[in-house]
Amino acid sequence: MLTSLKLMIKVPKRTFYSVSLLCSLLFTLRVCAVELGSNSEAIQLHGFIAQGAIKADKSNYINEEQDISFELTEIGINASYQLSDDFRVAGQMVYLNGGNRYHPGIRVDYLLLEWDAFHDETWQASFYLGRVKNNHWLHSSTRDIPFARPSIILPQVTYFDGFRDIAMGGDGGAVKLSFNDDDFGEIDFNFSRGKSAISNDQSEVVIGKFALGELEHDLDLQASVYWRPSFSPWRFGISALDSNFYYNSEQVDYFFDSKFEFQFYSANALYEGERFQFSAELTQVRFVTDGFYFPGFHRDEIGQGYYLQGSYKLNDDLSIMIRNERFYANKDDKKGIQLSQNTGGLIPSYFGFHNDNMLGVSYDFSSNFRMNAEYHWMEGGARLSPIVQPDPLANSSKNWQVWAIQFMYWF
Amino acid sequence: MNVVLSSYVNYKDEIIKAILFKVAAIFLLFNPQVFAVNIISNVTADTKSLSVNQLRRIYSMRQMHWNNGTPIVVYVLASKNPLHQKFCQEELRLFPYQLDRIWHKLTFSGYGVAPIEVQNQQALIKAVQSTKGAIGYVENLSEVSDVNIIKIDD
Repeated sequence: MLTSLKLMIKVPKRTFYSVSLLCSLLFTLRVCAVELGSNSEAIQLHGFIAQGAIKADKSNYINEEQDISFELTEIGINASYQLSDDFRVAGQMVYLNGGNRYHPGIRVDYLLLEWDAFHDETWQASFYLGRVKNNHWLHSSTRDIPFARPSIILPQVTYFDGFRDIAMGGDGGAVKLSFNDDDFGEIDFNFSRGKSAISNDQSEVVIGKFALGELEHDLDLQASVYWRPSFSPWRFGISALDSNFYYNSEQVDYFFDSKFEFQFYSANALYEGERFQFSAELTQVRFVTDGFYFPGFHRDEIGQGYYLQGSYKLNDDLSIMIRNERFYANKDDKKGIQLSQNTGGLIPSYFGFHNDNMLGVSYDFSSNFRMNAEYHWMEGGARLSPIVQPDPLANSSKNWQVWAIQFMYWF
Repeated sequence: MNVVLSSYVNYKDEIIKAILFKVAAIFLLFNPQVFAVNIISNVTADTKSLSVNQLRRIYSMRQMHWNNGTPIVVYVLASKNPLHQKFCQEELRLFPYQLDRIWHKLTFSGYGVAPIEVQNQQALIKAVQSTKGAIGYVENLSEVSDVNIIKIDD
């Protein structure tokens, strides 16, 4: 039994050293944080470590072998230093390993300078320059933070793992404008412009291993508005994203120079009651492809989806969660029939949609130690990487399941 | 007949109310979790009273300065601490998990900082006494000196 388990757990040496290094750093910073105590309010140190087990049946969502995997590791450390009343610097480094979901490795998550440009009783304006995170969707800025997101696997309709590195944020700037009023409540306006540096490993997750060229991200533009009425348990938000990508093919390549346009719109609602919580996001995504498969190729598709999520606190420490999620890649081909016909049957119709029903449980052992566990009943392959060249051989079943359990500690 | 029935119902209601009141009084008397929450600040903060909304803005890190321009430094106890939970629900009218969510989002996205968490009330009092612009909460005012006591207006 132990031998078979060892065979299943393949930990590459580089990954082992990266994790060891980050763990040592995390421990050192934890000790430093305790020593700094409350006398050093200008500097803040925080971190987290999470490890879990995950298995996807009838899909290569996690690994090709479809075995139990421990590729569910998330480690992060961050520091914030208040330079003066108006300026602050902050940065976070993370190590992520989610199997095939995204490229495993160390990343500089954010590294920014904040300028508190204006504040009075009602308004507050802050500017951020550097590598900034996407703060526009309900869980976009905390999608890698295990204890700050609602579940281990987020709703793929909005938080598609294949786009994680592109959607996470970028190098550029952001503006946050906050309004507070006793009558109108809290209103936040967020704007950002940024560009993600996409490595070859990250390109492979998006466009597949047969594309030999490079994927380049143009400066994108994002905006969002959030509103919480005064003393209300509800919060509402809308967001918009406009982004372009270019594929620069190699001299010898299976694919051609191309441009991808990506526009993403979402609306969300959040309810926070004493025991019951509810959240929902509606999304519409426009994906335009010019070139790539052959010069002159043009495809313009609009995908749509939603998720509804509810959780209930059974007591102070234990809560349960259910979620229903629906997505189709082309609103004019909800069952993927055209998709299958256009590819001569090479890509099955179920790659035209993605549905998920999830049941989860969360238990707090203390204020900063938690366990999350969940089971997903998935249907369809529209949210499986690589999105540009789907892999029907590794994902030959329309229905597939995922279970995961993860333990997390933070400070 | 109706009058008799109505007076019987009223009499029954009164008895139930009296029993409930006595049970509540006994519960309040013997329950160690029942205590008052008082808001305190460092003497450099010029504010003597805050509205519930202002206090919420301070603890959700949306108001970062006192009226005199001094930066606010927020101190809290751990989220499972009974005093913290009482402070959240009675003074802020928020659930502790809502504050955790706001603070985690700020801390781990880089868009802000969270309050400074201390181990116990003594550490919190000491921090508020010694930190310019600090705010915190305590259970018993008799243990506290050299701080401002902030009145919360409804």
